[in-house]
Amino acid sequence: MRAFTYLTPSAPTEVVEMLDAHAPDARVIAGGQNLLLGMKDRSDSPAFLVSLGGVSELEGVRAADSGELVIGAATTYATLARMEFTGWHAEIASVCGNLADRPVRTMGTIGGAACAADPRYDIPALVTGVGASLEVLSAQGVRTIEPSDFFLEGGGTSLQPGDLLTAVRFPATEAFTTVVFEKFRQRVFDAALASTVLALRVGDGVIEDLRLTVGATTPRPTVCVTSTAGLIGQPVDAIEPVLVADAAAIEVLGPETSNDPPHLRYQRELIKSVTRRALIRATAIPRS
Amino acid sequence: MQDVTITINGDIVTGTIDERTLLLDFIRDVAGKTGTHNGCLEARCGCCSVEVEGDIVKSCNVLALQVAGRSVTTIEGLSKERLRPVEHVTSQSLAGMYAPLEAMGADVNDLHPVQVAFHQCHALQCGFCTPGMVMVMKNYLEENPEPTRDDVRTAIAGNLCRCTGYQHIVDAGMMAAETMRSQPDNSRPAPARPAHDH
Ligand SMILES: Cc1cc2nc3c(=O)[nH]c(=O)nc-3n(C[C@H](O)[C@H](O)[C@H](O)COP(=O)(O)OP(=O)(O)OC[C@H]3O[C@@H](n4cnc5c(N)ncnc54)[C@H](O)[C@@H]3O)c2cc1C
Ligand code: FES
Ligand code: FES
Repeated sequence: MRAFTYLTPSAPTEVVEMLDAHAPDARVIAGGQNLLLGMKDRSDSPAFLVSLGGVSELEGVRAADSGELVIGAATTYATLARMEFTGWHAEIASVCGNLADRPVRTMGTIGGAACAADPRYDIPALVTGVGASLEVLSAQGVRTIEPSDFFLEGGGTSLQPGDLLTAVRFPATEAFTTVVFEKFRQRVFDAALASTVLALRVGDGVIEDLRLTVGATTPRPTVCVTSTAGLIGQPVDAIEPVLVADAAAIEVLGPETSNDPPHLRYQRELIKSVTRRALIRATAIPRS
Repeated sequence: MQDVTITINGDIVTGTIDERTLLLDFIRDVAGKTGTHNGCLEARCGCCSVEVEGDIVKSCNVLALQVAGRSVTTIEGLSKERLRPVEHVTSQSLAGMYAPLEAMGADVNDLHPVQVAFHQCHALQCGFCTPGMVMVMKNYLEENPEPTRDDVRTAIAGNLCRCTGYQHIVDAGMMAAETMRSQPDNSRPAPARPAHDH
């Protein structure tokens, strides 16, 4: 690890001031679960670490007047896993309680995972899958960014030095009847090799909204459009899990060819099976 | 360099440390508590797990500065009573080392139920992973006193053991859960006693 100066602000505005004062050599440290690994092998070597540990304003969960669920960027997985959310928001707690391992969840934060933007992490897929927005504070003020503008197509985020992610805003419970997250990983504490988020709103047995997002296999999560086209307005029974999942694999990775390398064939099969599982789990609820 | 104070197993420890000092190094080198092991330094093996105010962390992936002013419990904190010096390993016969704890003069009541269960279920061989295993298991069982075997396996997913094959560790988790359910008071470390008691 290279030497650094450790700064301990107590308010978000102070964080931004410190980031600006030491740009571009200053970095936020939230839980440090990702950052410290990079600093140890020197792939990351910030000269200033601005700690969110004492910025209590960035921790915790509140409901906005709009019904949105606003989760502070420095809220840990462990805290979120213990929350008793209503409706589809329960899937947020479930995702946070079923990634990495127990000790990593104590330190790791939802904001850290979004900013690290590793495609195999669960939070970028979940955020994209339900269309949550990301609230960012900088010296210029507050702005709200959609996932498609936050996560860059080639990987990474659109955050600039001096930007602080303050909260992730999840849509209200009414937005979806059910949200299902499925993933495949080698060992329990490994990051996903393929993941799928299915967000579905059903009214009177008819699909009012459906978002299918595949994570971990592309530099940023892929929102599937063509493979789910025409389903809105149809009865839930019209969803054919196998057909949709096969189409999603093609949409994410391109058409199958006879000389696909083995890893691509493997990814294809994983996308199909996690997507199938998500579709079956999601449609079982409104059907019954 | 920076002055940092961390309470470790009830003792206030202050050190002047490099900012880069990991909590693991603070515990081992500044506080001199070597029960917490360094297995990988990259948050993969779990040997370094300790509690920070009741929450379990991998101390190799946390800066000492991140927990400045807070309280940490290490494996040594689980059985305060047993901190009397054990004879140096080389002066003991192997039979002595493998003899039951009782024969070594240890009172099982001094041990945390998870430690007793690890001993009784033979849940360790070389013992390198054990401090981390025990800390994570204790932390988990306090949250979920009625786990299934699968729950226990998932709880220790971040802890690697190269020796046991995990079966006996899961056995120990189940046994400890049962003990902790029947004697809830035993699940907490025994209160510190003045030194002259020993
Ligand atoms: C052993 C292990 C297993 C793991 N397994 C999984 C897994 O299965 N699934 C999964 O999804 N993840 C997994 N992770 C990754 C984990 O989710 C992330 O490391 C963690 O959530 C990141 O959060 P953090 O608070 O520790 O971020 P940090 O490490 O503190 O920060 C990460 C990056 O984001 C920046 N940053 C953090 N917060 C902000 C903010 N508010 N504003 C601006 N920038 C910010 C930092 O500067 C840094 O560049 C694993 C990690 C480990 C060590
Ligand atoms: S030494 Fe900390 S997890 Fe391996
Ligand atoms: S007992 Fe040897 S590593 Fe677990």
